[in-house]
Amino acid sequence: MSISRRKFLGWVGAAGLSTAFGKSAAAATHKHFTGYPNSFAILHDITLCVGCRTCEDACNRVNDLPPPDKPFTDLSVLDSRRRTTTKAFTVVNKYENKEQPKAPVFYKKQCNHCLEPACASACFVRAFTKTSTGAVIYDSSVCVGCRYCMIACPFEIPTYEYDQALTPRIRKCTMCYPRVTKGQLPGCVEACPMEALSFGKREDMIKLARERFRRYPDRYVDHIYGEHEMGGTSWLYVSGTPFKELGMREDLGVIPAPQLTAGALSSVPVIAGLWPALLAGIYAVSKRKEKIAQKEQEQAVASALDKQGDAKTQSKEES
Amino acid sequence: MLKGKSLLLGAGIAVAIVILIIGTMNAFNGQALSKTPDQNKAFVYRADIITFDNMEAFGKLKKTKAIFLHDQHTDALEKKNKDCLTCHMSENGRMSPKFMHLKDIGKEELTKIYCDNCTKCHAEIIAAGEKAGPVKCDDCHRERPLIKSSRVEMGFDKSLHYRHSKAQQDHCDRCHHEYDVKTQKLFYAKGKEGTCRYCHKKTTQVKETEKVISMRLASHFACIDCHQKTEAKHIDAGPVRCAGCHDATEQSKIEKIANVPRMKRGQPDNVLIKTGDEKGLIPRMMRVPFDHKAHEKYNDTCRVCHLASLESCAKCHPLTGSTDKKEITLETIFHKSGHQSSCMGCHELKQKDKSCAGCHAVMIRDRQKDSAACLRCHMVPLPERTGVLSTSKAAKMARLMPELWKETFGPIYHVKVPKTVVIKDLMDRYGPVEYPHEKVYNAMVKKIQDSKLAQYFHYSETTLCVGCHHHAPADGNPPKCSNCHGAPFDENHLNRPGIKASYHQQCMGCHQRMGVTKYLTCTSCHKERKKEAKASS
Repeated sequence: MSISRRKFLGWVGAAGLSTAFGKSAAAATHKHFTGYPNSFAILHDITLCVGCRTCEDACNRVNDLPPPDKPFTDLSVLDSRRRTTTKAFTVVNKYENKEQPKAPVFYKKQCNHCLEPACASACFVRAFTKTSTGAVIYDSSVCVGCRYCMIACPFEIPTYEYDQALTPRIRKCTMCYPRVTKGQLPGCVEACPMEALSFGKREDMIKLARERFRRYPDRYVDHIYGEHEMGGTSWLYVSGTPFKELGMREDLGVIPAPQLTAGALSSVPVIAGLWPALLAGIYAVSKRKEKIAQKEQEQAVASALDKQGDAKTQSKEES
Repeated sequence: MLKGKSLLLGAGIAVAIVILIIGTMNAFNGQALSKTPDQNKAFVYRADIITFDNMEAFGKLKKTKAIFLHDQHTDALEKKNKDCLTCHMSENGRMSPKFMHLKDIGKEELTKIYCDNCTKCHAEIIAAGEKAGPVKCDDCHRERPLIKSSRVEMGFDKSLHYRHSKAQQDHCDRCHHEYDVKTQKLFYAKGKEGTCRYCHKKTTQVKETEKVISMRLASHFACIDCHQKTEAKHIDAGPVRCAGCHDATEQSKIEKIANVPRMKRGQPDNVLIKTGDEKGLIPRMMRVPFDHKAHEKYNDTCRVCHLASLESCAKCHPLTGSTDKKEITLETIFHKSGHQSSCMGCHELKQKDKSCAGCHAVMIRDRQKDSAACLRCHMVPLPERTGVLSTSKAAKMARLMPELWKETFGPIYHVKVPKTVVIKDLMDRYGPVEYPHEKVYNAMVKKIQDSKLAQYFHYSETTLCVGCHHHAPADGNPPKCSNCHGAPFDENHLNRPGIKASYHQQCMGCHQRMGVTKYLTCTSCHKERKKEAKASS
C-alpha cells in the first residue's frame, strides 16, 4: 500500500471540487478555445434565402450522394419539415413568417462545425477532427460505430448508415473540406444564387453580419446565432425571424460541450487510476495477512511438533 | 481490513457526488425544455367588460376583480322599462359613470356598495322567478373567468369631428373648454381649442390647484351624456352602449366622410420653419417652407404631429440645444427617424409602402449626404431669389410658397431607356434573361406619378434610376453591373455581392418587397439549358 489514507482523501476531495466548480477545472484542464486563427466560416443570411434548394442540389453533386427521391427542383418537398440524412447533408426547411404571411422564411440546416465540437469530445477513437479551415471532419477508418457523436451533438446532425451491414459510416456535412483546401468554395455557397450564404474568415463574417445589422436595423434580429452558441460555431446565422421560431435551439448556452464534461471527466483518470491500485492494495493486504497467518500457523505447528519430538527423544533417552 | 473499507466508502461518495451534479444539470436543462404553452380554452369575447377595480386605489384587493357585462345589464333593464338611473346617480344634471356612488370614498365602503347592491338586485329578480346574475361571492370573483375583453380603443378622428361640428352648428364651446383655477369652473376659450388628450391623460391627475379626470372618465361623461340627451329629443345620436364605440365591427359601421373640410381654428396654410433667429443665431441651413394645409389632409388627427399642444413647434422646441434643460431641439424633431411626428420619420415610414419598398428597403439607413436632397426641403425662398421681400416679412413670404412649389412638382421623365436588356454573362445551367427594362421603368414612373410625396422627392430622372443603378453617375449612361460586381466574397468589399447574387438580390428582392409573386422561381426568368442541349443533340 503506497498511498496514505490522508493522501487518498485529498484526491477524492480534489475530484469532487473540480466537478463542482467547472471553471477551476477548465482553467486547470484547458483554456477556452476561440477557434483557429483565420479559420473560415459561412454566414447564412436567412432573410436572403428564397428556398430554391440549389444548395441541396450542389451538396448532392459535390459529395457524390445518391440521387434524391424527388428532384431538387420540386419545391413541394419544403412543405414538410425535414432533417439531415445519410443521403442529404443539408436540408432547407420552410417556416411561417408571422409578420408577412405571404413571404415564408427558409432556413438551411447542416452541421454547424462547432469551434469545440461535442461529437469530437464524445468520440473515444478520435474519428472527428476540428481542422484549421474550420471544418469538423470524420475519419471512418477508425470509427467503431458507437454513435456517441449522434447523442452528443446538440444540433442532431450526425447520421448513421444503418442500411450498410459491413461498413456503416457516420455521415454529415464536411464544410467541403476537400474543396476548401483546394481553394474552392463550399458547394452550397458557390451555388446559392442569392448569396444567402457568404464564405470567408470567421472574423470577417461576424463583421459582415454586424454591418448588415447597422445598415438595415429593421430587417434583423440583433443577434448572430453561432457567434457564441455552444462556444461558437463555424456556421453563423442572421435572421429577421426570432431563431426560436425557426426551430433553432436557444437554450444551449455559450459554453462549449467539451468544457461541460471536462470537470467530470477530469476526475475519471483519478478514479480509474485509483481503483486498480486500491483493489490491488486491498488484495495485497489481505494476501499478506493470510500469508503471515499461514506462516505463524506453520511456525506454531513446527514448534509444537518440535516440542513433541524433543519430549519423545527425552523420554527415549530416559528410558 | 478497516483501512480498505473506509477507502471504498470514500471513493463511493466521490462517485455519488459526480453523478448527483451531472443529474441536476440535466434536470435543469429538462425543465427549460418541458415548458408547455397555455392550453387554449373556448373563451367568449365581449367589448362591454368592466372590471370593478376602483377600490384598488385604496390598497391591495383580497379577491380577484369582479367582471361586469355592461351592455347585458342595459338590455335587461330596458326590458323592464328601467333607465340608467337604476344604477347611476346624477350630479349637476349629468349622469355619473360610477355605480351608485359619486365619489370613491374608501375600500370598505366601495366594496359594500358593489356587493350589496348587485346581489340585492339579483336576489330580488331570482325571488320573482326570473333568471339573474350571481348572488354568491365566487360567481362574480372568478379565479379564471371564461370571458375575455375584445374592447378596442375609440378615437375621435377628423371625420367624426366634422360630423359633430356640423351637427352642433360650429358651437365649439359645447365640447371644448379650459379650466379657470380662480373660479374653479370650466370656461370656453375661443381659438384655444385643442384635443381632449392634451389635458385629459390616461389616468386622473390630481394637482394642488385642480383635478383633471382621466380621458376615459371624461369621454364617458361627455359623450354618453350628450348622446342620451340627444336621443331623448328623438334626434339621431351616437352610441350609448359599450359595443357601439368599443366593438370592432360596430366601430367600422360609423360613417366616415371621405373629403373632410378643414377645421376652422385659424391654422396657417403654409408655415415657414425657421432655422435661425433675429437674436443673432446664424442659420446654417435655408428655411423650410411647409405646406400645413396639405399635411392636414394626410393625417387623421392634429395629435399625429402636435403631440402636446396646437402651438407652433418652436414654442416648445428651441432652435439651439442646452445642457441644463431636457428640451428637444427643433432640428431633432424634424429629422428624427422612425417617429411619425417628425418630418423625415414620417416620410421614411411612407417608404415602407409596397410601392416604395422595392428600392427604398435596400437603401442604407444612413442619413443622405446628398445636398440636393436636403435642398428639397431647405429651399432658397422665393423672395430672396427675386429680392422682392425681406426675410422679416415671413408671413407674406409664406403666402408665396405655393408658387414656389409649383415649379418643383410633377416631374416629367425624358430618359430614353432600352426596351429590353439581355443578361447573358453568367450562363451556365440556365439561359440568358431578357429583362424588359422599359416596362419596369414605366411601371415605376407610374407609381411615382400616383403619389404627391413621391413626385416631390423624385425630382429628377436620375432619382428614379439610382433605385437600381446605385452609385452610378446620373448622366443616363450607367456603367455595367459587372464594373463593380465580380467574384463573390471580396475581403476588401465584404458587403458587395458577387455579380450573380447582385442580379438575383436586385431583381428578386424587389419583386418580393413589391409583392410581385410572378418572377420568384428560376424558370420564370431563365430557360433551363440542359434541356435545350439535349433537344439540339
